[in-house]
Amino acid sequence: MTALSAHLIDEIKALPARYPQPRSAVMPALDLAQEELGYLTPEAMTEVATALQLDAGYVEGVATFYTLFHLEPIGKHRFYMCTNLSCTLRGAEELVEHLRGAIGVHEAGDVSKDGLFSYEEVECMGACEYAPMCRVDHRYHYDLTAEKIDGLVAERRAPASAPVQASAPHPSPAHKRDEDVTSGLLPDGERGASSPPKKRAPRKKKADG
Amino acid sequence: MAEQRGTVGGPVLTEWFAKADLHTLDVYESLGGYSALRKVVTTMTAQQVIDEVKISGLRGRGGADFPTAMKWSFVPKDHPGPKYIVVNADESEPGSAKDRYLMENSPHALIEGAAIASFAIGGHQAWIYIRGEYDLPYEMLRDAIAEAHAKGYLGDHPFGADHALDVRLYRGHGAYICGEETALLESLEGKRAQPRSRPPFPAVKGAWGLPTAVNNVETLSTVPWIIRHGGAEYASRGTEKAKGTRMVTVSGDVKKPGNYEIEIGVTYRDIIEGLAGGMLPGRKLKVFWPGGSSAKVLPASMLDTSTDLDGLKALGTMGGSGGIIVMDDSHCVVKAAARLLRFYAFESCGKCTPCRVGGNWAVRTYDRIMANEGSQLELGILERVSDGLQNGRCLCGLGDAAGWVIESTMRHFHDEYEDHCLRHTCNVGRALAHA
Ligand SMILES: Cc1cc2nc3c(=O)[nH]c(=O)nc-3n(C[C@H](O)[C@H](O)[C@H](O)COP(=O)(O)O)c2cc1C
Ligand code: SF4
Ligand code: FES
Repeated sequence: MTALSAHLIDEIKALPARYPQPRSAVMPALDLAQEELGYLTPEAMTEVATALQLDAGYVEGVATFYTLFHLEPIGKHRFYMCTNLSCTLRGAEELVEHLRGAIGVHEAGDVSKDGLFSYEEVECMGACEYAPMCRVDHRYHYDLTAEKIDGLVAERRAPASAPVQASAPHPSPAHKRDEDVTSGLLPDGERGASSPPKKRAPRKKKADG
Repeated sequence: MAEQRGTVGGPVLTEWFAKADLHTLDVYESLGGYSALRKVVTTMTAQQVIDEVKISGLRGRGGADFPTAMKWSFVPKDHPGPKYIVVNADESEPGSAKDRYLMENSPHALIEGAAIASFAIGGHQAWIYIRGEYDLPYEMLRDAIAEAHAKGYLGDHPFGADHALDVRLYRGHGAYICGEETALLESLEGKRAQPRSRPPFPAVKGAWGLPTAVNNVETLSTVPWIIRHGGAEYASRGTEKAKGTRMVTVSGDVKKPGNYEIEIGVTYRDIIEGLAGGMLPGRKLKVFWPGGSSAKVLPASMLDTSTDLDGLKALGTMGGSGGIIVMDDSHCVVKAAARLLRFYAFESCGKCTPCRVGGNWAVRTYDRIMANEGSQLELGILERVSDGLQNGRCLCGLGDAAGWVIESTMRHFHDEYEDHCLRHTCNVGRALAHA
């Protein structure tokens, strides 16, 4: 039994030809493996390495460096919650707490019992003008509120009423902007001061040293 | 398309942004898009392109302000074999969202600019390295590139000319350091993104060991306009030494956060109180980061500072990536600095000791301070760590930036640090002396 399907291995073997040097295929290949399995197992990384004629340790070294590669099981829908400064100024920390309750997990990385959800606190995702924001299922969601988080979770719990795709890395062709990007500017009135940034749940250390 | 927050129709970069479906080739072309590339490949020499951009005075918008024409001219002309333009679309600087905004609104402008740049350095391939989280811009670029190929604007004979041009995409996978140009090149080559020591510079030995110019998204998106209108027209805007317009992203405690195109030389008051609508009701400006989280902070009293790049440098800070983070008096500067240090420590690639160790020292020190366990000792540690991170002790700019956050917040808000360390209180909510 191999971790990756035979046709995926063929696809991975065809990748190096697309780049001036074959090594550049390592990240696209890991992407394909992660898409198939949900996360990167040691076996999957070894098979990627074999297919690309690279050292398994090297491939793992690359996979552990980048935060979008997951080395442990994740929920079918992963919330990437931005908690960098612009989002924190607008209440990101409270929203993370709310999300934890909404999906029923204790900390970053935990997978909900039904396997549907997990979350991660991430650094700035380059949409600070819509703070606080998050990314889930390959789309950004803006001007988050507790109600919006509940809506995102509910949609994904009840796929019949609001179909959502599983986390396909290359989403549907109709890549128009999210419907839930609000068109107003800011709600009137004051926003509450945000609480102090909390310590983030420990994450893998990317660097060796 | 849903509403984009910010400028809709400005002088240069956002000139056509009010048009619906600008991201399609048809609309882009109906407004004059691709006329610059056509002109370049059918009537100009590479040197003429570089000269025109030189006249414009355009400087890189990725943060380092380096003159774009000069960067292109460093790529050896007589080098046999491939040379590359690498587009830095990694945009991960906290506070900066302008490259995303440009790509989502006008992907063809970037593609056209990248193709013109490739022609200018005598190359045939441009690689856009785009951060992995940017799904939508990635898809829009992918589709736009396909459209340009289908029309024959990219390919073996763009506009019938004898100079093959292609633009390709490469996705990042989450690491701030990939924005640093040599780390980006490592990543593009399929490695862990750790900056290279220089020399050799990318112009000589860049992507896959070949001559390369790395340019920011905004920089290249400006180039078609310069070719259409002439370098002199671009240079007539801006200040004496910092020409033209640029994008800024305003975020934080303002009424109208957004991406705005500004003429270089307007003041931060013009931006924060004018374009961004001022502070939220009942709040007062305390501090702002003038050019991304890596730029040294300026207190409210310096709101009339000009966006002139050299003026900012003279103040010890920078225009950087154009990300203006605005914070009001309901927030604590020490907490904000602690949050940013966590960012820099987490994103350190670990290659050099001052950054790897210094960043973690700073985080642990801030943790103690925020837990009300600070004292004079912690103030001293922060000062020393900040010094240790700066002044060329680190291999790349990430280390310096971490040091600047500590140094500049301590310099302008020493009393807040003392409140936390010596009195174990936070003055947020009380009247502040800085505003
Ligand atoms: C830590 C670090 C992060 C950077 N991040 C980015 C980035 O996300 N985007 C960018 O264009 N430049 C970034 N830069 C600057 C690049 O190294 C480089 O100067 C720039 O891409 C050159 O393009 P330009 O001349 O058009 O500005 C970063 C630099 C450092 C030191
Ligand atoms: S300064 Fe930090 S990020 Fe830059 S090379 Fe050194 S360790 Fe890596
Ligand atoms: S700080 Fe959250 S998107 Fe930039």
